[in-house]
Amino acid sequence: MADRKPGVYVCKGCGIGEAVDCGALESLASGDLKVPVSRQHEFLCSEDGVATIEKDIADGTVNQPVIAACSQRVMADRFEFDGATTVRANLREWVAWARPAGEEDTQMAAADQIRMGVAQASRMAPPEVRIEEGLSTRIMVVGGGSTGLNAALEASAAGHEVLLVEKTRDLGGWSAKWSKRMPHRPPYRDPQDNDVAALIDRVQGDKAIVVQTETTVAETSGMPGKFEVSLVNGAAATKETVGAIVVATGWRPYDATKLGHLGYGASPDVVTGIELEGMLANGGVKRKSDGAAPNNIAFVLCAGSRDPDHLPYCSSVCCGASIKQALQIRAANPDAMVYIIFQELRTPGTAEEFYRQAQEEGIVFMKGKVNSVGSDLTVTVDDALLGQEVPMAGLDMVVLATGMVPNATDPDKTASENGAEQLANDINPVAPIARAGDAEAENAAWSAATPEGGSILNLQYRQGPHLPMLADGFADSHFICFPYETRRTGIYTCGPVRRPMDIAESAEDAAGAVLKAIQAIRGAQAGMAVHPRVGDLSFPKFGLDICTRCRRCTVECPFGAIDEDEDGWPVLSASRCRRCGTCMGACPVRTISFDNYNVQMVSDMIGAVEIPDEFSEKYRILILACENDAAPALDMAGINRHTLNAEVRVIPVRCLGSVSMLWISDAFQRGYDGAMLMGCRSGDDYQCHFIKGSLIGQERMKNIGETLQSLMLEDGRARAVEVSIADSAKVGKVIDEFVEEIRGYGMNPFKGF
Amino acid sequence: MTLAPPEQAARKYDLNFARWVRDNVNGGEKMSMCMQCGMCSGSCPIGTEMDHGPRKLFMMIRAGMKDEVFNSSTIWNCTSCYNCTVRCPRGIPVTYIIQDLAAKSVELGYVKKVQNARFAKAFWWSARTFGRTDERLMTAKYYWSGGLVDFVKRSLGNLTIALSMVRTKRMHIGAPHKIKDVKGLRAILAKAAEIDVRESKGGAS
Repeated sequence: MADRKPGVYVCKGCGIGEAVDCGALESLASGDLKVPVSRQHEFLCSEDGVATIEKDIADGTVNQPVIAACSQRVMADRFEFDGATTVRANLREWVAWARPAGEEDTQMAAADQIRMGVAQASRMAPPEVRIEEGLSTRIMVVGGGSTGLNAALEASAAGHEVLLVEKTRDLGGWSAKWSKRMPHRPPYRDPQDNDVAALIDRVQGDKAIVVQTETTVAETSGMPGKFEVSLVNGAAATKETVGAIVVATGWRPYDATKLGHLGYGASPDVVTGIELEGMLANGGVKRKSDGAAPNNIAFVLCAGSRDPDHLPYCSSVCCGASIKQALQIRAANPDAMVYIIFQELRTPGTAEEFYRQAQEEGIVFMKGKVNSVGSDLTVTVDDALLGQEVPMAGLDMVVLATGMVPNATDPDKTASENGAEQLANDINPVAPIARAGDAEAENAAWSAATPEGGSILNLQYRQGPHLPMLADGFADSHFICFPYETRRTGIYTCGPVRRPMDIAESAEDAAGAVLKAIQAIRGAQAGMAVHPRVGDLSFPKFGLDICTRCRRCTVECPFGAIDEDEDGWPVLSASRCRRCGTCMGACPVRTISFDNYNVQMVSDMIGAVEIPDEFSEKYRILILACENDAAPALDMAGINRHTLNAEVRVIPVRCLGSVSMLWISDAFQRGYDGAMLMGCRSGDDYQCHFIKGSLIGQERMKNIGETLQSLMLEDGRARAVEVSIADSAKVGKVIDEFVEEIRGYGMNPFKGF
Repeated sequence: MTLAPPEQAARKYDLNFARWVRDNVNGGEKMSMCMQCGMCSGSCPIGTEMDHGPRKLFMMIRAGMKDEVFNSSTIWNCTSCYNCTVRCPRGIPVTYIIQDLAAKSVELGYVKKVQNARFAKAFWWSARTFGRTDERLMTAKYYWSGGLVDFVKRSLGNLTIALSMVRTKRMHIGAPHKIKDVKGLRAILAKAAEIDVRESKGGAS
């Protein structure tokens, strides 16, 4: 930005005025910091306060207001001005509310917030907007089962054209094969008619939806707003451009031939729930051995589920589906005696009514683990409620309720030549990040089997053809906070490919994923980032003049946004980028920057803090806090009036992945006594908005030890910690302990040099 | 939990038993509603005096452990306080089921093995015959139901008590006392049995 006109606005409201001397802050800005416009206001967020700032901007005297008031997490829209870049200096949560009023240390902290804000402004520019050409608003839905049909209808209803791609000849998927479905309408008591045929009719009657059956995706390239997909229908190949992709490829049943211990294969009358469903839909339940209608039937739930040797997870629908089948059997043959043997019966929500109905119908529920099923159909149950083994003899049929395997890959395709390694690394939540460091696997016992088959979308990305997966092979990126999102921006999953779910849940899931897809399309149209930095217009810029083509940015990008050209130069697909800055932190020559976030900016902020000399007994500790978890936890600590250590200075960063190790060595050279990276939880229950930022930060911090030793400093002075957003009561103690430890080492000997 | 009895290996499991209870026992049709919460067993004031609490008894019925159910002391030690029935969150008439299981065990001839059942039979014999309990004859009949050896052993063992009872006129020697209208009482009982048969499935005797 050619012409920088910063202006400092100190707010005295919310207790700031009582805690610190705002006049002194104002004169600090106008004096030492040489900021041309410097004002204080009783309540900056009031109409009058905002009008003051607007007037200065309109007059052309200010284009970089530094709002020294509350946290950047609040009042963001209030302090957003056209034609100006706003910087926030947090005087409220981190100073006035977190430190004793009127003390020297509190005033010093406030002054440092102003200094950092002014330094930040000096390195910020309004982001240059980059919008791609030739954008499409069409949504491609992959998979024509119940989930995909719902997704197509939702997208069409929202005004988007839809391309629905289905691998098989018919729409409907598994759900078209069911005779009835679990109740999803009051009174939630009886199996309901399967209404998927009506759903198919609606899709086929919708002019905005183009259905392509017997078609698969051969290749996908491009980015949100303009994905280029190659579709193959037999020998015919077509190319299409779509704005976003919804993957609804569903599930397949677990291979029952692996369940020999439950009698599958030993007797023809041990069948899976899927086989039973086929019988119910086609003329009733008959024994395969003699064609007779069975009178004594046992359902074995969790057959191969929640079992470390088979599927380790719960498929959530087998309990309800078995109850449904049991009720159907009783309805057809009131003399039939049906036993359901369960370990834990999972009938959430209204399914509890369904369970009760089955009990009233006289279906007998037994709690216990089935140890074996003999070839004579004797089911041996370890009855948990009797505490003994019960052999159930005289059954006519045994039904194994097998679980769902996600179709995150296409088992009919041949495995891709590349990407298997990345996929295995994705599935394993504790996988070492080979890209960031060289740490050993923390949990060697974990063994992740790479899913069979080839990639569904066959992405032409630097990071391989697959959609990254969470544990157990489900294609999702952040189960709790960001459902539907995958780690490939603009591609969303819904239905059982994301987690096991029933038809009703899938329909809701489809709507959610379609809304996300629409967001991605709109974001691409405006050049804005999607979740979590919604609306951010900046994007990473590469200074190719000093780029060494080391490829760390292309490898470490959590979202596959950066590819390489033939010569190995990084190429950004801007609308894939989520602006976390992991590339910036990875770049060894620091040539990646954002207009509003860059290495030099944070470096200057670190340098702006006034370091007291070695005789003052005042330490200075730098905290780089992740803006999604650690910074809010610190905000919450302030709101709850927990005391924040007087000697720390906090700088929010986009992600620990974006932290350049230069900042740490800078801090020590400038006389800080310690440095802490404060990020979110890592591991298999990670909370990182950018997948592995916290882990990457930790990995890089392990390497900083050598740098510290070369400066003759203790490596304990630099540390990475994990906090969750709910740790507001704890976060202050974590900091205090670290400060105590630093005091043990004594002052940084570089002070004053 | 006590040790499993040695006859564990020879236990019989009858898959149709749960169905039989549902169709034949008073209240049995509600039994499938049981969710094994254990409220009944926890509420039972004499649960400690039973082989199995009501919860476990129900689970044994589901598992088809017919002989063990009918031989258990649970069905005979129930005092019909109705705590379980009142508290059952699934509305199962636990007391009815237990009472009728006792009646069914008599019908099916399990009684010989169960002390409480033999005692109940002796009690009823006395009540029906004399309109009241005759301590001497009822006790003698009860002891005799266990066989000659049991009779001699227990009669001699309690002789001192019996003699003191005679001395303090708590036990009567000679012809048994009867109530005035034994015939009338029997008519009442017959009518009750008739109503029972009419209103329940099977009925208690």
